[in-house]
Amino acid sequence: MTEIAIVGVGLTPQGSLPGSTNLSLQTDAFKLALADAGLEKSQIDGVVTEPGTTDMHWALDYLRFSRAVGINPAFTGSFAMGGATAGALVQLAAMAVQSGKADYVACVFGDAAKTGKKRPLLAAGGALGTEAANNGAWGAYGATTWSGLTASRHMALYGTTTEQLGEVAVAARGHAVLNPMAMMRSPITLADHQSSRMIVEPFRLLDCCLVSDGGACLIVTSVERARDLRPTVVRIAGSGQGFTSQDHECDQWWYGPHQKDAVDRAYAEAGVGPADVDVAQLYDNFTISTILWLEHAGFCGVGEGGAYVEGGRISLGGQLPVNTHGGHLSAGHPQGWWTVAEGVHQLRGEAGDRQVEGAEVCLTTGRGLVLNTASALVLTGDA
Amino acid sequence: MTESDLVAKPRPTITEENRPFWDSARAGELRLQRCGSCHHVRHPIQALCPVCLVDEFEWALMSGRGSVFAKVVYHRAFHPAYRDDVPYNVVIVQLDEGPRLFSNVVGVESSELEVGDRLAVFFDVVDAELTVPRFRATDPGES
Repeated sequence: MTEIAIVGVGLTPQGSLPGSTNLSLQTDAFKLALADAGLEKSQIDGVVTEPGTTDMHWALDYLRFSRAVGINPAFTGSFAMGGATAGALVQLAAMAVQSGKADYVACVFGDAAKTGKKRPLLAAGGALGTEAANNGAWGAYGATTWSGLTASRHMALYGTTTEQLGEVAVAARGHAVLNPMAMMRSPITLADHQSSRMIVEPFRLLDCCLVSDGGACLIVTSVERARDLRPTVVRIAGSGQGFTSQDHECDQWWYGPHQKDAVDRAYAEAGVGPADVDVAQLYDNFTISTILWLEHAGFCGVGEGGAYVEGGRISLGGQLPVNTHGGHLSAGHPQGWWTVAEGVHQLRGEAGDRQVEGAEVCLTTGRGLVLNTASALVLTGDA
Repeated sequence: MTESDLVAKPRPTITEENRPFWDSARAGELRLQRCGSCHHVRHPIQALCPVCLVDEFEWALMSGRGSVFAKVVYHRAFHPAYRDDVPYNVVIVQLDEGPRLFSNVVGVESSELEVGDRLAVFFDVVDAELTVPRFRATDPGES
């Protein structure tokens, strides 16, 4: 089967970008990715997009983007899987290239979530329809609800502590300090985490991700074509998706069994396991998410994620550096896209002060919506 | 939560599909949909059984007994109508009959509520049109 690579990465500034729009961030990221890959826009014959979170249901996103940059793709579409979308679109792009439907597929995202159009005030899960919107009758509002419920149960069943959640926040911030593009660049301590204000118990402010404006673009092609463009090629060695479509109807939904499915599918395709992974970018919308992913990806057993993150194990220089860019917690929130971009930068050896020496295998993951969706990629370097 | 607080809060959208749930609450009963074929009790409310895909069902009476499956305590009001209520809890209730649903536990300090605590339903009369099922903590011996 044709080997597939990510050949271009475009990441706009991430943070507070007044005047930007979902579209302007998409087109800025696209231009950066073309320059990174050394491609002309006329060579892009595939376009897949994720509508910004403020336009999540906007199915015509692919058309608006292609129209703005003057492309008539041979393969296109828009997906909305929340934080799992980036990995899922890269997988879709890889399949399109593998099957000969397109040669160079641009995966694109732009979201002016911080300074642009506001998201509608809906009850937790309300985007799914009337019954979910009626959760407002019990005061269930905010994205924090779902992961907060998960964290409360994980803490009750396995003894996971708020200090262990804090270890995740401290590790992410330590990496952001080393990343010139990250939003939050002042170091924090566990005491800072413990004294930060409660938002939705068990989450304090420093358990929650940032909200940011930003765009991202990843260009996918064959390894053979990538070789003509770049000195170092980053392969998509494996990819997987997983879904738990039901919430209350599924007794394990809170734990996200589909996240393990997605990672296992990516591992199987790549022919690797957790012991082979040098660095991991695990979607951290909240601190508990990192702990869950460590369990799902087999770095530790069920319920052991809290203990795993202690003692700097997920920091640069530790056993498994996680979210080396600073993650959604401290770098920025182009939901799941920076996660993949950072994987590429690590495997190219372009991560500067936060480079994991000799990184050859990187796992990247995404999770989204009402804890329903998951995607995973195993990326490998050119060694 | 007091009655006056609740008046300004978001109200459920009543549809033909969910009206029996809310009408039952006004009558002091917790009823959920039980499949006419495989007898699976489903929630959230929807048109067909997600297990066997059969449309026929009855609104089955629940005991209203259950336990805390998971909980959060809001210290920030994401909806302005809840500004005076913080800190308040939202829980997933595990009903003894199997289904899980969102609700609030009233009459306890939210921070003291724990996963596994036993619960019993009560019916919070918001006004003449709306009654919301909520829960109270019970002693293990009571349930």
